[in-house]
Amino acid sequence: MSIRHGLLALLERGPRYGSQLRTEFESRTGSTWPLNVGQVYTTLSRLERDGMVAQGGEDAAGHALYAITDSGRTELRTWFGKPVDRTSPARDELAIKLAMAVGAPSVDIRDVIQSQRRHTVKAMQDYTRLKAQALVAVESGGARERDDVAWLLVLEQLIFQTEAEARWLDHCESRLIRLSATAANSGSGADAPAPATAPRAEEAAPAEAPKAADRQGTDASPPVAGAR
Amino acid sequence: MKTWFHSWRAAIRIARRDAWRSKGRSALVLAMIALPILGVSALDLTLRSSELSPAERADRTIGAADARFSDPTYGGVPIFQDPVGDMNTPAKDYGDTAWPSGPTDVSKAIPAGATVLTDTSGSAKLTTAHGLLSTDVRELKAADPVARGIMTLLEGRYPEKNDEVIATSHFLEASGLSIGSTLSARNFDRPYRIVGAYEIPDALKADQVNALPGAFHVPYAKAVAKAGLQPPGATTTYLVRKSGGFTWNMVKEINTKGVVVTSRAVLLDPPADSEVPLYQKDGWGNFESSAAGNAAELAALGTVVGLAMLEICLLAGPAFAVGARRSRRQLGLVGANGGARSHIRAIVLSGGLVIGVAAAVTGTVLALILTLALQPVLEETMGQRFGAFDVRPLELLGIALLAVLTGLLAAIVPAVTASRQTVLASLTGRRGIRRSSRVLPLIGLTAVLIGGAIALFGSMVSEQFIVVAGGSAIAELGVVAMTPALVGLFGRTGRWLPLSPRLALRDAVRNRGRTAPAVAAVLAAVAGTVAVSTYMASTEAQYEAEYEARLPYGAVSAFVMEEGGRDVPAVREALQRHFPVDVRADVERVSVGKPGCEPWSSEAGCGRYEVVIPPGNECPLYVSVPGGGDPSEKFTPEQRRKLLTDDWRCNETGSNGVIYVDGGLMVGDAKLLEVLGIKDAGAEKALAEGKIVSFSRTQIDKNGAIGIRQITDVAAADKASEEGRPAPGKVSSIPAYRVPGDPKTYGLQALMTPATAKAAGLSTVPLGAYASTDRMPESEARQKLDGEFNKLGSNVEFHLEEGFVNENSIILLALAIFAGLVTIGAAGIATGLAQADAEADLKTLAAVGAPPRVRRTLSGFQCGVVAAMGVVLGSAAGLLPAMGLRLTDERERIRYHEQSVAEGWSTDLTPPDLPIVIPWETLAGLLVAVPLGAALLAALVTRSRGALARREAT
Amino acid sequence: MSAQQPVLQLQNLTRVHGAGATEVHALRGIDLAVYPGELVAVMGPSGSGKSTLLTIAGGLDTPTSGRVIVEDTDITAASVKELAALRRRSIGYVFQDYNLIPALTAAENVALPRELDGTSARKARVEALKALEEMGLGHLADRFPDEMSGGQQQRVAIARALVGDRRLVLADEPTGALDSETGESVLALLRSRCDAGAAGVLVTHEPRFAAWADRVVFLRDGAIVDQTVRSEADSLLSGQVAEA
Repeated sequence: MSIRHGLLALLERGPRYGSQLRTEFESRTGSTWPLNVGQVYTTLSRLERDGMVAQGGEDAAGHALYAITDSGRTELRTWFGKPVDRTSPARDELAIKLAMAVGAPSVDIRDVIQSQRRHTVKAMQDYTRLKAQALVAVESGGARERDDVAWLLVLEQLIFQTEAEARWLDHCESRLIRLSATAANSGSGADAPAPATAPRAEEAAPAEAPKAADRQGTDASPPVAGAR
Repeated sequence: MKTWFHSWRAAIRIARRDAWRSKGRSALVLAMIALPILGVSALDLTLRSSELSPAERADRTIGAADARFSDPTYGGVPIFQDPVGDMNTPAKDYGDTAWPSGPTDVSKAIPAGATVLTDTSGSAKLTTAHGLLSTDVRELKAADPVARGIMTLLEGRYPEKNDEVIATSHFLEASGLSIGSTLSARNFDRPYRIVGAYEIPDALKADQVNALPGAFHVPYAKAVAKAGLQPPGATTTYLVRKSGGFTWNMVKEINTKGVVVTSRAVLLDPPADSEVPLYQKDGWGNFESSAAGNAAELAALGTVVGLAMLEICLLAGPAFAVGARRSRRQLGLVGANGGARSHIRAIVLSGGLVIGVAAAVTGTVLALILTLALQPVLEETMGQRFGAFDVRPLELLGIALLAVLTGLLAAIVPAVTASRQTVLASLTGRRGIRRSSRVLPLIGLTAVLIGGAIALFGSMVSEQFIVVAGGSAIAELGVVAMTPALVGLFGRTGRWLPLSPRLALRDAVRNRGRTAPAVAAVLAAVAGTVAVSTYMASTEAQYEAEYEARLPYGAVSAFVMEEGGRDVPAVREALQRHFPVDVRADVERVSVGKPGCEPWSSEAGCGRYEVVIPPGNECPLYVSVPGGGDPSEKFTPEQRRKLLTDDWRCNETGSNGVIYVDGGLMVGDAKLLEVLGIKDAGAEKALAEGKIVSFSRTQIDKNGAIGIRQITDVAAADKASEEGRPAPGKVSSIPAYRVPGDPKTYGLQALMTPATAKAAGLSTVPLGAYASTDRMPESEARQKLDGEFNKLGSNVEFHLEEGFVNENSIILLALAIFAGLVTIGAAGIATGLAQADAEADLKTLAAVGAPPRVRRTLSGFQCGVVAAMGVVLGSAAGLLPAMGLRLTDERERIRYHEQSVAEGWSTDLTPPDLPIVIPWETLAGLLVAVPLGAALLAALVTRSRGALARREAT
Repeated sequence: MSAQQPVLQLQNLTRVHGAGATEVHALRGIDLAVYPGELVAVMGPSGSGKSTLLTIAGGLDTPTSGRVIVEDTDITAASVKELAALRRRSIGYVFQDYNLIPALTAAENVALPRELDGTSARKARVEALKALEEMGLGHLADRFPDEMSGGQQQRVAIARALVGDRRLVLADEPTGALDSETGESVLALLRSRCDAGAAGVLVTHEPRFAAWADRVVFLRDGAIVDQTVRSEADSLLSGQVAEA
């Protein structure tokens, strides 16, 4: 996702001014990619430099309005037609963390994974709740329907991404457990830690939750920032 | 109660829709149950309709009259009769003294003021388009309102003049005559014209001609007598109409005048047995109401119905088991939604109920339609018109209930099995192998032991057929109950078999729930068949051993006794013409009195002859004692036995044959000896010399002659014989030649030529002919000869010696086919069941690269395995009771034989030996051909490629 | 909310399959309570004991030790017959597929537990129609299962699970045979029924569907290792927005 193309898409519906663009962008993406006005104007000036937008008058309140140019429309078409590049995945703290946890003597990798999983699922629960509300809104119809649908899509993208993470965690767990079991084979049996971890994880859960939520919030932004 | 009803309603709804969804299987089961119901209902309807109400019966026997008076020919002495008028006897007991005899004057018994219609009938030989037909001629004024109901006019009109007659439609058909033809009788030149056709509702197949009273019999008798022949007798009864009718008391009153009365009032309202004097007499009880007989009949009927139901249940049971298995997930869902075991049972049982009810309705309705539609055909077959079309709702309901019961019973085992499964197992579709019940085989074993013991006791100790049969039946049921356990034993043999048969056998053994009922069905059918076949084959073998040829093989004999042998030339000629005759020996018989007399006739002017046994030659056991009495009572059993064994006077066996004349005396020539295969040069010479050739030592007196007594006064002779005196009559003594040795004579004891007879003052009449044939005459020739004889109108005593003819082979074949069909049916059902289960296995097999034909061979083997197991077990189970029964029979025969030897009744000293013959052909057919056929059939009808993956839930 | 009496309580539940060498501990000391209005999802890898937990909770299987209490009734002590009655009156099941009896229409399927319980056919049908109507499935009432889509069948199954006085739904992978969107509609219905006061236990291996639950319980090797708590508000997103 790029802010540049997002703004172009908004401008295609008609001339808009900077802060208006920011509000619309956030409402469309459900505040999952927060923008600051500075970012909006920087991007707009770059677009103007590339000849994709042009300043065109002011509205009644005196805001400077931007409009999309023909080359801007062409660029927008090309963007919609091009798949998103997946060749250079973003570096993920979680992957690094898990990779470091393998073989670390003082860490039970199961606990690491489980606390992450709890967090992930919790996030999904929240998204799903919002989605349920959005579904109700979409189905009841109304003036904001178009925006609701967009919001719904954004939520679902988040849900599926989170689900992918949850599944990846499941996979990691069984894979890592098997590996660590082979590693620890000479020492204690692989089964031994399993019962012991259960209660501990449960106790730990409430305390960890907020912290994890924070991280989730910051984790979510890098793709936005790094889009350009 | 209410709750119960509501949950059953839900169960029935599911069962009904399920039955509809699997139409093929439902239709199969429905047909299996409905067919017997259809048969039984139709039988009930037919029997009930043909069973007449007393009023209908009265209409048919006495028309519109109030009573029929008839003459029991006791000379007018008081009599007793039964209410219907079928049985009667003089009121007094005459014991050994002469019974009263002679006609009664019925008219004296008819009350004054009554309307009377005479009904006379007697037989006459009528000329037909084909020849002669001995027919009943009835003189009854059929047009009279009193006679209405006795006969039904079909076409034309009633006779109005003395030369007009009407005839039954059967007579017209048989005689080739039609309305408008003329009819005449032999020896009687008056022609009659047929003016109408009628039928007798109770006897559609009767040949009868109806004439006006006095129009036929009197002139006919005169004409016959004029021709020198015995006139046929005609009997007259009287239809009487009197206001008020005849009560039982009046009937008893009239009985005192020696007249039998069939009264409408009595028929409609019969008196109690205690009011019938006849029933109080010794030996004249009312047999119809014998309670023991009824009970025995009911027990037999119950057994047959029960066994039929068991067989149907065994056949239909697997079908319900497939249903329950196919819808296992559905039953699991019901369980998950709170269906208790009773609900699951209810659903599967409802399947039986639904099919049972459908079968009951279908069977009953079809029976009604069929019986109504086929009424004319049925009436023709039974030879009797129905009364009213009699529908007994209660009886039909009872029969229909049997169908419902059968359906329910068939579904019981699947229902219990289905309800025992845990909900979880049903839902997950795990193919659990249920441990089969341990109780059932134990019960079975107990039944086998007890039944076997009873049967063993029966065949070793008692002679009671029923004991053996009952014991065997119990044992048989026990074997059926043991089937699951027995099937298990077969499993061990499978290890060395190739893939398909091994899979089939394992599958059959592991899924006993569905295999066992099918095997049991086959077992029951085969056991029954083998038992009956073995019994019949053994009986057959015994009959064959006991068979005595009445003539040399291929020889024929034909005799005519009537009318002084008038038709004998025609018979001889016909024989010569149609049969490949080699040597024909014409024979005559000695006759005493008028030439038209039949042997042993007691008509006036007729006499008889007898071959005199010289007093010293009589067996002391049978000698006539002056004053009467049993001569053998003087001897002890040992003495009797000794006499029978050692005394030549007593142990002359006198071989069996077709001799209808006294003393085995034939008049003929040496050709007869040739036909009978007796070679003795001396005999031919003796015949030529005018001697009588004798094969019996007892007939020859001290002077070497045989005496033939001509008895002209029959009554005097009878009296003399009663008193143990020799009969009066002239005795002609003819020198005899006794044939040495003991050749087989087929009943011939003495032979002389006609010339010898004449010389001895004996008159002879033609009797018939013996003939030897070149080859066994074909069936066609026999039919032609029969036709010729029929056209003669005389009774021809005909015998063709064909040796022993096996009469039961058709029954054996039919039984074998029945058992085969049941086997294939049951095995087929079990295979269908196995297929439904094996779909997953087959897919796996196909996935590992098994060729498509594995599917075929597997189903073939599955079918074959079931058939083979059933047939093997059934054959074993069937042979034993048959042997038991035979042993019982033998024991009974031996006891009887010992008794008869001891009492001096029998001269046959070889103790009976009842062979036990195993019908190898039937057995081989059942053991080899049937399983093979079943397997091939199953393989043929199975598609090589499986149907698309079936959804498990549907 | 938790002040209310739980609809389902599992106390120290263990289940051992087999014995000796083949002994398998399917469940080890499970404690769980499900309250009215709550939808609890049970997650875990294959063999973690999810389905066993559900079958024991519904009385289709019996625990080796521990107690199962449904609406104040200890079902571990109940007879087979009582269990069946309990399933008619208190517990509704929804399985992965083929939930409906093919021989019965949707309405009859829903009415089945009531009819088995002895309610008259007419009354049961009225109740069934009401249940279907409430879930927006009234138009399906007279269709047979093979005339319905998989999603419709599952929704009818939920209607059946909650007909009459029943307010405990045990759903075992109810979306397993459905595509993502249809599965979601089924879960949305389940969610709305729980919001309306029913209690639900959902076994699934798809986090996406588990996310519809109020609480997700993680099962591993027959024991509950963790669970999410019910969040009081839309904390996550509101927090983010505020921060931005």
